[in-house]
Amino acid sequence: MTEFIQTLVLSLLVGGIYALVASGLTLIFGVMRVINIAHGAFLILGAFIAYTWWNQLGLDPLVGVVITTPIVFGLGWLIYRLLVRPIRHAPMSSTVLLTFGLALVTEGVMGVIWGNDSTSINPSYVDQSFHVGGVFLPKAQVYGGALAVVVLVVLWLILTKTWLGRAIRAAAANPASAELVGIKVTSVAAVVFGLGLAAAGAGGAITGVLYPFLPGSHYLWIARLLAIVVLGGLGSIEGAVISAMIFGLAETVTAVYISPAWATAVPYAIVFAVLLIRPQGLLGTRLRDDAVAT
Amino acid sequence: MSHVSIRHGWKAVALAGVMSLGLAACGGGSSSGGSGSSDTLSIGASLPLTGDFSEPGSAAKQGYQVWQQLVNANGGLLGKQVKLVIKDDASNQNTIVSDYNALISQDNVDMLLGTFSSLLNLPASSVAEKNQMLYVEPAGGSPDMFNRGYKYLFFAQQATADKQGLVFADWVKSLPPSQRPKTAAYPTLDDPFAAPNVDGIRQVLEAAGIKTVYKTTYAIDTKNFDSIVAAMKSANPDLVVHGATFEDGVGLTRAMLKSGWTPKMFYETSTPSFADQYTKAVGAGNTEGVMYAVSYSPETDTPGNKEFVAEYKKMFHTAIPPEDAADAYAAAQVMQAAVEAVGSIDDQLKLADWLRSHTVDTILGPLSWDDTGAPQGQFLIGQWLNGTAEIVLPPNVATAKPEVGWHPSGS
Repeated sequence: MTEFIQTLVLSLLVGGIYALVASGLTLIFGVMRVINIAHGAFLILGAFIAYTWWNQLGLDPLVGVVITTPIVFGLGWLIYRLLVRPIRHAPMSSTVLLTFGLALVTEGVMGVIWGNDSTSINPSYVDQSFHVGGVFLPKAQVYGGALAVVVLVVLWLILTKTWLGRAIRAAAANPASAELVGIKVTSVAAVVFGLGLAAAGAGGAITGVLYPFLPGSHYLWIARLLAIVVLGGLGSIEGAVISAMIFGLAETVTAVYISPAWATAVPYAIVFAVLLIRPQGLLGTRLRDDAVAT
Repeated sequence: MSHVSIRHGWKAVALAGVMSLGLAACGGGSSSGGSGSSDTLSIGASLPLTGDFSEPGSAAKQGYQVWQQLVNANGGLLGKQVKLVIKDDASNQNTIVSDYNALISQDNVDMLLGTFSSLLNLPASSVAEKNQMLYVEPAGGSPDMFNRGYKYLFFAQQATADKQGLVFADWVKSLPPSQRPKTAAYPTLDDPFAAPNVDGIRQVLEAAGIKTVYKTTYAIDTKNFDSIVAAMKSANPDLVVHGATFEDGVGLTRAMLKSGWTPKMFYETSTPSFADQYTKAVGAGNTEGVMYAVSYSPETDTPGNKEFVAEYKKMFHTAIPPEDAADAYAAAQVMQAAVEAVGSIDDQLKLADWLRSHTVDTILGPLSWDDTGAPQGQFLIGQWLNGTAEIVLPPNVATAKPEVGWHPSGS
């Protein structure tokens, strides 16, 4: 029973962090129909900024989200204005190619600034745990998971309780009608791109404390994040959160009860299985043209 | 925000999936040189300068550059100045094949040097073999490299992966009963280098009566090691032998420390050999007593080592060359020795035949090979003692005596 509780708690902590990062990716897709291949690269960028914050200034890397989030938000806003906006109405494949190039450039720039060595962020609590009964809860995971929840709640409040959020949802649901009621969809899209990347930047500060990283680490992240948002339903933040929890749970439970060798494969098998039954993902919606296509 | 056309979404995700796979395949070709002319000898290699293996790849590039610098300063090779043509394979098995084909057919290089990791050397060595070019690799110790009957392939380290931990295993066997571990755990990365390394040790220790209480293999994209550690904690082995590269080695070590459980002895492949990066990653206080197999020590009095260390420091402003840079330098030394002995590069089978029948002095020590190109020597065993990486085995080259036990004391 203790082992099961331990597994469950570790799963939720991992899932919460996945949820934060995946929410940014699905938010960008939901509003702009852009699959941002560079999302993992900006996660790693967030980790490097947090590393510099911790290493040079001696400040807590998790508190570093107060700097990584606005920096990556600003970069996202700028990238949208300079690069994405000109091809906004081009076929979706063009934006995939663009963000693919952006991932390579970002990796290269990080390599030049921080080098290609593996980097670790080791605050004083990194090797410590809370011990509750027979269960150990690594402090870094607990703090990181809690922080991910806080950032997710802030994102949710922005999307549901503010005028900006209503504008974002309107632009996602029907861009043409949103324009008619005075919403500048292009400006909203720039903010959304910034917000989406900012979620990755915040996630980077957290994952940087949990796992060693180097500029090339984004390859592993983007595959996992794409699977999470597809399982959740493209464009659905709620779906991404649920899907991330399933991913975290599947990875950890498989590692404990089946074999670590299968831990990274089983979540993908679940994605396949769910999509066979619900091609639109857990919370995605089938539209008329999909029904016609089938 | 959930109203998304599945058809359009799927097209994009499919493309995105292909692109994310392609990310690794598009490292592109950065080169530092050109094809050979009458007064230059061009030597080509493709290294993982970006992607998963960028760390050893970048170090290997430095090793090759130091060798180039020293060879040219001493008059070159066969009287010609050496030019390096180095491409970036982005740690991708497909890219490396096209890179080595391009080096041979487009860049027209005169000689090849190998790349890093068994994963990349497996396909790269096939290209060299098909083109009948000598292929000396600085890494790629998987036994699978040498069961293909290749004639041009040589591994420039002391032993293949399955034999690299044998010196450690024999030492464990020789410990007095009071110190000898009774149980052991063997977690390993699913990797053609790490897994045979751990397996070789396990077979020796099981035969010596040390009971295996936990054994598992995990995938390369594993990030969370808490569950593996929880299982090891339950089994409570005296010794953990971990097959790792780098990030997973740090991950497992940190997970053990977080859990509050550590084994009495800890041996790990590769990770502890990364000098400063290792101590920064796991915390200097947590390294005390960790053991590992290593091919090189900057302190060793091997021919040319002092010159290598001095030149490396001059070129890269770092006092201690990483093991991967030294391995690359040694691979180039092996190639150089064969070329100078034969006196020509026209028939590279002659170079290979010469290597098969001779011993070459390198900064790693003397290297010799069997008919398959597998080396026939003994690996060094390192141990972190008082914050310093010491060579503790075999005794004739040791810089310190091995000590029993891992004593982590916090970051």
